[in-house]
Amino acid sequence: MTELASRLDDVAQRFDAAVDRANDEQALESVRVAYLGRNGEVTTVRRAIGTLAHNERPAAGKLINDAVAAMERRLQAAYEELESRSFDAELATSIDVTFPSIRRPAGSIHPVRRIIEESCAYFVRHGFAVVIGAEVEPDYYNFDALNIPNDHPAREGFDSFWISDTLLLRPHTSPMQIRTMQEHRPPIAIVAPGKCFRRDAVDARHLFQFHQVEGLLVAEGIHFAHLKGMLTGLCRELFGEQQNVRFRPSYFPFTEPSAEVDTTCPKCKGAGTLKSSPMGCNMCGGSGWIELGGAGMVHPNVLREVGYDPDRYSGWAFGFGVERLGLARYEVDDIRRFTKSDPGFLAQLS
Amino acid sequence: MRVPVSWLREFVTLPPDARAIADRLAMLGFPVAEIERRPTITGVITGRIADLQKHPNADRLQVAQVDVGADAPLTIATAATNVTAGQTIAVATIGAQLPGLTIAPRTMRGVASQGMMISAEELALPGDWFEDGIMQLESSCALGADVVDLFGLETAVLDVEITTNRPDAMSIIGLARELAASYGTGLRLPQIVNPGRAAEPPGEEPNVLIESQDCYRFVCQRIDGVRVAPAPAWMRVRLALSGQRPIDNLVDVSNYVMLETGQPLHFYDARAIHGGRLIVRSAHDGENIVTLDGVTRTLSPAALVIADDERALCLAGLMGGAVSEVGPTTTAIVLEAANFNGARIRRMSNALALRTEASARHEKSLAPALTDLGAARAAALLWDLGATVYQPHAFGGPVTRAAAIALKVADVQRLLGLSLHAQQIERHLTALGCEVDRVEPEVLAVTPPAWRCDLAIAADLIEEVARIEGYERIPVVVPSVAPHEISSGAFALESRIAGALEGLGYREIITQSLRDAGSVEVRNPLSEEQRFLRDSLVPGIVEYLAENASPARIFETGEVFRDEQGGLVEESLLTFGFSADPLDEPPWRDSHFLALKGDCERLLRKITGRDAETKRGTQSGFHPGKTALVTLDEREVAHLGRIDPRLAKAADLQRPAYLCVVNIASLPAYETPHYRVPSKYPSTYRDVALVIGVDVAARDVERAIVATLGSLCTDATVFDEYRGPQIGQGCKSLAARMTLQRFDATITDEEADQAVSLLLDALRKEFGAEIRT
Ligand SMILES: [Zn+2]
Repeated sequence: MTELASRLDDVAQRFDAAVDRANDEQALESVRVAYLGRNGEVTTVRRAIGTLAHNERPAAGKLINDAVAAMERRLQAAYEELESRSFDAELATSIDVTFPSIRRPAGSIHPVRRIIEESCAYFVRHGFAVVIGAEVEPDYYNFDALNIPNDHPAREGFDSFWISDTLLLRPHTSPMQIRTMQEHRPPIAIVAPGKCFRRDAVDARHLFQFHQVEGLLVAEGIHFAHLKGMLTGLCRELFGEQQNVRFRPSYFPFTEPSAEVDTTCPKCKGAGTLKSSPMGCNMCGGSGWIELGGAGMVHPNVLREVGYDPDRYSGWAFGFGVERLGLARYEVDDIRRFTKSDPGFLAQLS
Repeated sequence: MRVPVSWLREFVTLPPDARAIADRLAMLGFPVAEIERRPTITGVITGRIADLQKHPNADRLQVAQVDVGADAPLTIATAATNVTAGQTIAVATIGAQLPGLTIAPRTMRGVASQGMMISAEELALPGDWFEDGIMQLESSCALGADVVDLFGLETAVLDVEITTNRPDAMSIIGLARELAASYGTGLRLPQIVNPGRAAEPPGEEPNVLIESQDCYRFVCQRIDGVRVAPAPAWMRVRLALSGQRPIDNLVDVSNYVMLETGQPLHFYDARAIHGGRLIVRSAHDGENIVTLDGVTRTLSPAALVIADDERALCLAGLMGGAVSEVGPTTTAIVLEAANFNGARIRRMSNALALRTEASARHEKSLAPALTDLGAARAAALLWDLGATVYQPHAFGGPVTRAAAIALKVADVQRLLGLSLHAQQIERHLTALGCEVDRVEPEVLAVTPPAWRCDLAIAADLIEEVARIEGYERIPVVVPSVAPHEISSGAFALESRIAGALEGLGYREIITQSLRDAGSVEVRNPLSEEQRFLRDSLVPGIVEYLAENASPARIFETGEVFRDEQGGLVEESLLTFGFSADPLDEPPWRDSHFLALKGDCERLLRKITGRDAETKRGTQSGFHPGKTALVTLDEREVAHLGRIDPRLAKAADLQRPAYLCVVNIASLPAYETPHYRVPSKYPSTYRDVALVIGVDVAARDVERAIVATLGSLCTDATVFDEYRGPQIGQGCKSLAARMTLQRFDATITDEEADQAVSLLLDALRKEFGAEIRT
C-alpha cells in the first residue's frame, strides 16, 4: 500500500514536470496519453491494486482516483492556460485597416437607365404601366397620328433620320403613345422610355442619339392640374422635396394647351448665382431654372385619331430628355459624357 | 427675334425692369433667350449747327456754334468732316456720360469746346451701319431734346423666341398686344389708315394676275415721287437695335413695317415691270433669277415667283430679284403685301437653302388680313417721307371672318382643373382681340381676331384663357389612376437583366446605334461613319474595349436592325463580356471562357428560372474553337465566346475579349423553381478518371453518367481535364465525380461500387473510354 502510494507520488511528480514542459496542445495530449491513457502510467499503477489485500483495495482505489482527478484538473488548467496564451498571442496582432480594400469587379447600370428606372418607378407607384417599343417606326406613328401632317412646320423641329419614304428612326417615343391607345381603351396610364434620334449637331448640350421618358394619362376627368401634380412629384422624386416646377405656355401640335416644364436648378437652388462662380450659375445660365421638356393636354385630333371621343375623354402627355435630366441631377458639365460611357464617369455616378 | 423694349413701350405701358418684362413674356409662351442691356448714356441732346467756321489755329478742325434750344449756343470744336451748317446732330454736353467716356470741358488749340458732336458708334450702335462721322438727325427734331429718350437707346433689347404657331407674334405689335392682355393695360395702337386715295395716272394702275393657288391675297399699291436717301434717324436706330442693318429709306420702310406689323413687303422699281402687270406663278423649269444677294438661282416649278410678262422678278415670300431692285434712280415703286401658303414657301426655302426674315414669317402661314395693314403702314410712312401714294388694290381672295368657336365654360374646368367664371374667360379672350358672345349662359361664341389663324377649336381658346390667367394659377393635383390591363413586362425584363448583370460585376454602357456598317441604310446620315443602323452590338463594344486601356467588364442592351427580303427587322439584344489578360494555360483550356459561360448561366437562371445548356458552335466574328451556343429548353437564346483574334487585331484590342450575345425576345418567361425535398439519408461519392477522345464533350460524359445511374446519381460533374504525352495522341483524361444517394435507405459501399462498375462498362461502350484508377 505504501509502495503504491509512493509510486503514485512519483508518477504525479513526473506528470507535473511533463505538464510544465509541454507548451502546446499536442505535447499536452501526449502527456495525457502517457499518464492517463489506456496504457498510461496510472493504469499500470492501478493494475497493482490486484496485488493488495482486499481490505486495502478501497483505500488504494480512492487514492488513485483522487490522484487521477488532481492530474485531470492540472491538465485542464494547463489546457486553459495554453488556450489563454494563444488568444493573447492572436489578440496581440493588429493590421492597418486603412490599407486599400480588395475589390470584386464593380457592376453598375448606366445613369441613363437609373434615371429612367427611378422615373418609371414613381409612375408605377401611381398606377402607370411602362411600355417600350421599336426605334424605327413609320411616319404615321411619329407624325401624322400626332396631328403633325406632312408640310406642318413642326416637322422641321423633328429633324429625323429617314430609312425610306415612310420609315424613320423615331425622334421621340410618342409612337408608343399612339400604339398603346390603339390597342387599349381608356383609362390609359403609361410611361414610355427609350432611345430617340434627331439630326442635331452634337455639342455640350445636344446629342443626335438620346433618351426620352414620355408619359400619357387619358381617362374621363383628367386635366392640366393632374399634369402639374404628377410632374411636380416626379421632380421631387428625382431632385428632392424642395424642388419647384414651373409650367410655361408653349406650342406642340399634339397637345393643346401646351407647356414647357422647368424645374429649380439643383446646382444653385434657383438663385441663378453660385458662390464659387462670379459669372452666375453655369448649370442654368443664371435663370435659376432647368428646362426639362414639353407637356400638355392631348390634342383632340390625336384622341380622335385613335378613336376616342374628345368630349368624353381628356388626357395629358409629357416628354422629358433623360440625358438633360442627368446633366442637372449629377451636375455633369457635358452631355456627351453620357454616350462616351467612360469608366471613370460610370464609376463616379454608380 | 430682337425686340427693343423702347419700341414695345410705344404701344403698351410696361414695368421699368426688363427682367420683369422678360419673365412675363416667358410665362405667356415667349421665352427670352437673352436680355441685352444697353450702356448708360446721359447728357446727349439734339442740336443744330447754327454756324460753322474754320478753327483759327488748326487746319483739320472746325468750330461750330450749336443751338441746343438754350439761350446761348454751345461752342464745339470738331474734327469731323461730314458736318455743315444747318445740320441737326446729337451733342454730348459737358458732364455727359458715354460708354467709356465722360465729356469734360477742354480747350482744343486755344478754343474752349463745350461738348462734342457724336457718331452713332458713340451711342453704342453698330458704327458701320451708320454714316461715317457725326450722326445726322432730322431737322424736325426739337432742339435740346434728350437723344437717349428720343430714340429709346437706354432700354434693353430682348431676344424673344416665338413658337411656330404664332407668326402674328413675330412683330412688335403682336408682342405688345400679348403684354397688354397679360398686364390688363390697354394697347395703344396707332390708327393705321392707308393714305392712298387717289387713282393712278392712266396706264399706271397696278394689276396682278394670280395663277397659283398658293397665293391667297396680294395687296398692291403704286407710289410715285420717291427718292432714295437715308431713312430718318429714329427709324434707322430702331432697325439697328432690332438687328436690321439700315440700307436706305425704301428698304428700311419695308423692314420697319415687317418688324412692326409682321407683314413682309416687297417694293418693285415700277420701271422694271414689263407689260404693266405682276403675275404670281410657278417658276418654269430651269428658269433663272438673280436675287438681291447677287446669286443666280435656277428654279424648278416647285418655286413660286412674282413675274412680269417676260421674266421672274421676285422669289415669292423669300427675296426680290436684282432686275426690279430699287436704287438711286428709282422714282416710282410698286408695293407688294402678299399672303402665301406657308408650306409652299417653306419647301421653296429649303430647296433653295435660302432663309430670310420674310420667309421666316411667310413659311408659318400669316393671316391674310395682315396684307392690308402692312400696305397701309408702309404707305403712311412713305407718305410722311413725301411720296405720292395712290390707292391700294387687293387681288385674290377676300379677307373672311373666321367662324365663331363654341366654348363651353365647363370645358375650361374640365381641361385645366381651374374653375373660371364666364366673365373671366370673356375678359381674357377679349383682351387678345377675340369677339365673345354669350349664346347660352354657359356657352360662349368666340370669334378669333383676324390675325390669329392658330385659333380653331375650343382647346385653342382654353390655352389662351390659361395663358392670360397664368399657368401658375392652375392647381397642383395628384390624379388617382383607375386600374388597367397594360403590361410593363418588356421593360421589367430589361430592368431585371440589367440588375442581374450589375450584380455579376458588369458595367452598363451605351454605344452609338448609327455605325459605318450594317444592312439598313440611313438616307440622310450626319456622316459616312453613321450611314448604317447597327446589326450587332459587338462592334460598338469591341470599339469601347479597345479605347479603354484597362480590362473592362461591360454590357449593353439595345436594338439592332437587319434588312430581310426588303423588310426591316428590329431586335432587342443584350451583349456582355470582358477583356482580360491571357492566362498561363494550355491551349485546350480557357478559364476566361468558362468564367463568361458561368456568368451567362447565372444570368439566364436568374432571369428565366431555368438552367442553360451549352454546345459547341460557330458564330461570325468569334473564335471558331472557342464559341458556344446556349440553349434553354432546347431553344437557342444566346452565343458566347472569344472574339476572333483577327477581328480583335483589326479593332486594336490590346487583350483578348470574350462576349456573350443574348436575344432578349427569345428568352422564355420566368419559371418559378419548385423545392424538391432532399433525401434524409447520407450520400457518398465516387471519382473516376477516364481517357477518352479529345472530341468527347465533358457535358456528354456528365449526361451519360446521370443517364446510366438514374435516380441513384444526384449529381455528376467533370472536375478536371488533362492532355499530355502520358495520355496519348487524340485523347484526354477527364476526372468526374458522381454523388450517389438513395431516398429510402443509406447507400452502402457495395451498392456504390457496383453502380460505378456498371457505369464504367457503359462509358467504355459509349465513348470507348479507358478507365484509370
Ligand atoms: Zn443654376
